[in-house]
Amino acid sequence: MEGKRESSGPNHLLQKLRDFTHSIVEDLSHSRSPVIYIHRFRNYCTDISGNCYCIHDSFKGVEILTLQRECHARRLAILLRVLLIVQQLLQENRHGSKRDIYYMHPSVFREQSVVDRAINDICILLQCSRHNLNVVSVAKGLVMGWLRFSEADRIFNCLNHPDTAHSIPVHVEEVKDIISVADYILVVEKESVFQRLANDCFCKTNRSIVITGRGYPDIQTRRFLRVLIEQLHLPAYCLVDCDPYGFDILTTYRFGSMQMAYDTKTMRLPEIQWLGVFPSDAEKYSVPQQCLLPMTSEDRIKTEAILNRCYFQRVVPEWRVELQLLLQSGVKFEIEALSVHSLTFLSKEYIPTKIQGRSFM
Amino acid sequence: MGDARRSTSFFTEQHLSYADILPPLQVRARIEVAVLNFLKVLNSPAPAISNLPTIKRKASNSRVNQGLLTDVSWIFLSHAFCTKSLTRENTAKSFIRVWKVMEMCYEILVLEKRVTQRELFYKLLCASPDYFASQLQVNQTIQDVVALLRCSRFSLGIMASSRGAVAGRLLLQEPNEETVDCTTCGSSGYAISGDLDLLEKLVMKTDAHYIFVIEKHAIFQRLAEDRVFNQIPCILITAKGYPDIATRFFLHRMSQAFPEMPILGLVDWNPAGLAILCTFKYGSIGMGLEAFRYACNIKWLGLRKDDLEIIPEESLIQLKPRDMQIAKSLTSSEILQDNYKEELAVMVESRRKAEIEALYFHGYDFLGKYLAKKIVQAHYI
Repeated sequence: MEGKRESSGPNHLLQKLRDFTHSIVEDLSHSRSPVIYIHRFRNYCTDISGNCYCIHDSFKGVEILTLQRECHARRLAILLRVLLIVQQLLQENRHGSKRDIYYMHPSVFREQSVVDRAINDICILLQCSRHNLNVVSVAKGLVMGWLRFSEADRIFNCLNHPDTAHSIPVHVEEVKDIISVADYILVVEKESVFQRLANDCFCKTNRSIVITGRGYPDIQTRRFLRVLIEQLHLPAYCLVDCDPYGFDILTTYRFGSMQMAYDTKTMRLPEIQWLGVFPSDAEKYSVPQQCLLPMTSEDRIKTEAILNRCYFQRVVPEWRVELQLLLQSGVKFEIEALSVHSLTFLSKEYIPTKIQGRSFM
Repeated sequence: MGDARRSTSFFTEQHLSYADILPPLQVRARIEVAVLNFLKVLNSPAPAISNLPTIKRKASNSRVNQGLLTDVSWIFLSHAFCTKSLTRENTAKSFIRVWKVMEMCYEILVLEKRVTQRELFYKLLCASPDYFASQLQVNQTIQDVVALLRCSRFSLGIMASSRGAVAGRLLLQEPNEETVDCTTCGSSGYAISGDLDLLEKLVMKTDAHYIFVIEKHAIFQRLAEDRVFNQIPCILITAKGYPDIATRFFLHRMSQAFPEMPILGLVDWNPAGLAILCTFKYGSIGMGLEAFRYACNIKWLGLRKDDLEIIPEESLIQLKPRDMQIAKSLTSSEILQDNYKEELAVMVESRRKAEIEALYFHGYDFLGKYLAKKIVQAHYI
């Protein structure tokens, strides 16, 4: 079900919040320093032996905060300050962004990063996701296709115009009544590819739902995808550029991001498959020589760092093979390189034949 | 009265350079005419290779035109030609690039398709690798073609992205479609399409009294979520940053459909915010030939230097080098009216800037109250 268990509803959270504060007050009234345990999470490491514990979602370490250290005291003070604001948000059923919270007490916080860290710590302590605290950001993603759903008082009906783009809703937990006649979900990295598919009326001829995160996907896009996959039980395919950033975005969808590692369980998409563009597609689809751009040294370093992540050994060894091909060839290319000879190649041939031929990983 | 206004501005436009939004057949016709003219000169008794007159897109060639009977001012580029000649070494390649882009656009228009700028880059890279090396060259050449053919980039078949959103007391109807009520569009609003043809055909109805143009997506989302349009009858519109053509076009259409409705801008108090306001107000030099058609009489509601009284000292942020750069180019462009110059001067002297979110110091509902107060006091410039 969307979000973590029912214990993340606002009333439960407010209760947990009160319990947490109560325990601190108790400790202080008995002249003891409160001891706060903040678990550390990660969703990958550089251990390629395959023996690491990243596959389990439990925490991989713990930070202990006490009032004995000044930096901890300050951190705790900030945490409590942010907690107060969160309590207000929950009680008034309002939503705010991290930036908004910073500006409420700029003299205390002094920097945005301390607010960000406090919010992460609170999520870990209260064992919930960020949106449960009513802390949201702007919605970046777009969706189109054979889909109909409602969000609060608004109905998104893409069924009449499957090629019209809609913004992915901000409050994904309010998305209900999802109806779809699509056969699959296609996730594309870039907005320009999304536009290309819309212009080609891709959804008119292919029963699908197309989503883009416009680059690195934000929390709403990832949660929305997860809701769609869980409720519709449709296969999901990911189309990214054949370069290090494309792969990083692919792994973000599939495995989650390190920054939100504590919430990986609700945001990763183990069902998503890599449709393309594979390094081996360059030859297979005769991508012209001029479109193969040379990889810079930063590209190489980034690709090697991605390859060193433990999940490439454990979970997706077949992705590893293609990535190594990329390093060997020393060239990268974008999805648009496929459309050079025919603008409709992507929507009329590449995507449908790949899906039918089950040529994805 | 409206007709008199329109016909007067027609006369002042005669010597201005501008680009039209044209249907594909007309653009193709213009390209064919350009080719035929070139061949005619080449085949004449005194054969020559024609030069290509393009318009200089530099600040030195731009001026601000003050509307005579209207309050709208806009940037225009005058006929300062910068000729591209095949025979001159430094312009030979760009001369050829212009023809190559025209050829490519013609092919695309014949297919009745559109391309993104990136796709165009790759097509040109493969078709003419000796002439095109970077996306920037392609973008500049596109602007040259716009100047040459006097038609907009969108008319050439280049897709525009959909960036803007609108919410509030506005009813939109596409021909033969259901009416969209922008009060029920949720906190992300109604997405403004990149298809200018579609936007042209939208029928707009409203009972609002004000249009708020908002710089940042986050503020738009907050105001839409708080349903500020139920307290103040208004329409909210944002381009989520630097305004794109589609959003400016949409705003322009609204200003024409509802000519008496004040358009008020809510931007951060920093040079970038002022630059965004000025782009809505006057247009941008880089798109000089297309700019003036979408200029609007937008007024600066906030944030302004008087608002600094209600913002705590700690919320002010130091100006960065980039901010100073923007400030400098704004002052040198000579488009700023005096009270805008004053505001910019205070920013630069104090070396400080402030974001709209700083108002949240007074609580979440303060933003709505702030807007209401400013309107009641008619406190905009």
